[in-house]
Amino acid sequence: MASNVTAYKDLTPAQPLDKKTLNNMVWKSMMLQASFNYERMQACGWLWGILPGLQKIHTNKEDLSASMTHNLEFFNTHPFLVTFVMGIVLSLEQEKADINTIRAVRVAAMGPLGGIGDALFWFTLVPVTAGITANMAISGSLAGPILYFIITFGVQMALRYWLMYWSYSLGTQAITLLTKNAKEFTHAASMLGVFVVGALTCNYGATTLGMMIPNGTTIDETGAEVANFIDIQGLLNGILPALIPLALTMMCYFLIKKKGWTPIKCIALLLVIGIVGCVFGIWSGDYTALVPVPWHA
Amino acid sequence: MDVIQIVLLAIATFIFAIDQFSLTELIYRPIIACPIIGAILGDLNTGLVVGGTYELMMIGNMPVGGAQPPNAVLGGIVAMIFAVKSGFSVEESLGASVIFAVFGQYVVTLTFTLTSALMAKADKAAENADPKGIVAVNYMAMGILASLFAVLAIVAYVGGSAMSGPLQNFSTTFSWFMGGLGAAGGMMRYVGFAILLKIMLANDMWGIYFAGFAAAALLGNVSATSGATLLLVAFIGIAIALYDYNMNVKIKNIEGNGGMSDGI
Repeated sequence: MASNVTAYKDLTPAQPLDKKTLNNMVWKSMMLQASFNYERMQACGWLWGILPGLQKIHTNKEDLSASMTHNLEFFNTHPFLVTFVMGIVLSLEQEKADINTIRAVRVAAMGPLGGIGDALFWFTLVPVTAGITANMAISGSLAGPILYFIITFGVQMALRYWLMYWSYSLGTQAITLLTKNAKEFTHAASMLGVFVVGALTCNYGATTLGMMIPNGTTIDETGAEVANFIDIQGLLNGILPALIPLALTMMCYFLIKKKGWTPIKCIALLLVIGIVGCVFGIWSGDYTALVPVPWHA
Repeated sequence: MDVIQIVLLAIATFIFAIDQFSLTELIYRPIIACPIIGAILGDLNTGLVVGGTYELMMIGNMPVGGAQPPNAVLGGIVAMIFAVKSGFSVEESLGASVIFAVFGQYVVTLTFTLTSALMAKADKAAENADPKGIVAVNYMAMGILASLFAVLAIVAYVGGSAMSGPLQNFSTTFSWFMGGLGAAGGMMRYVGFAILLKIMLANDMWGIYFAGFAAAALLGNVSATSGATLLLVAFIGIAIALYDYNMNVKIKNIEGNGGMSDGI
């Protein structure tokens, strides 16, 4: 990975992107999750989406390679709102901003959109639309599914289109103010980025223990016998919530940074940890441990 | 058994499988997918009824924040096959399709794991500034997911509800393996974080990293704020970043103007 590159070779700002390229990327943004995976989530689909812009902006091969490499890092946001991040990142790429700045802005922008998008679409628009149209379908009307599609797809595409243009012009305007204090801006943006990655570690970190150690029984006030358990995860939460996600992140950081491990090697290690853990019923989840252990129901 | 039906069914399933994560993220929804499957199997009306019913069931079962419900795509398709071909009632077919929905979820877990390994290929393409390589990785990932889904749909069509028993057995016997794959899948994002940190985490930023972690732990465990955790975290982060920016600009200006002023 050429992740040690921090600045582009060619620092002359590129021509603003034309409407055709921007529209092309609005449509490509639909493929954000095409290669969704556990390691980097939407990263590869994200890069696919902004490639038309990057190819216009970075005319020499080295810069294009540097840009593609840093845009292939962990990425996750709401699929319907991704064009907001696209617009801002492209405006920074176009100005040939420092790569650390672009990375930090990308990380800071992608995080909050997830919650907003879920609230907007999956908790509001889709249930309301489904509530109206599902009954039409059940009574045999083809208008049900058609209406459902027109409403939800229409809102989604309008939002994708508008967000792309809005954030692209927003970013282009803001950048001229910031070039004056570029070094200070990069430091501040990196701070925000690191802050958000810290939050993601806790917020996306879902690894928990499923160990409930039987600890005798007690009689409750009705006289019934109640089984007692020691919940190991509960004890860990008392020390630090999301302790395991933090510890595993630090482990990967150490292996990659200090031991020079490749990401794929870390993934293989985590696969082993995950599967061996479930053989012994250590991780939480709805499964039956291979080895019969008392703590995993 | 109708070859044309099988082919159309496989194509439709292929498209829905991709659509559940990419494209419109809408036509895979039962209310749209089931009528289409119904039309293929020659019973549009049953498709509308099953689709409408399943859609209402799913409103409380949204793909929110990366949590995966037992797969709705395959559940809907298989429920349709049972309703039309085996003459099950709507409730019976939805019930019988559950084990297929579980298998659909297995396939998703497996694909998301395999695609993590494909990222090494994507890294190569990025290093060589090769956009075609990136596109190829995306198509490959979609191809794996969609083909496996199509195979499961054909199994349901050919094997019918008789397949439920063996699938159930398999699922019970190997649940530790799929559970382990799921647990490992949940851990792989830490590699993604670690790579970001490797680049972003200068020595003066460790405190900021843990402050972000603490902010999310606080806001995420209060029911009133947990839905907006990352937005609120961003507000705090922006305040810190703005302060840092303003301070550093001020320092720079003082140094620039005064020259010796910091020497008292």
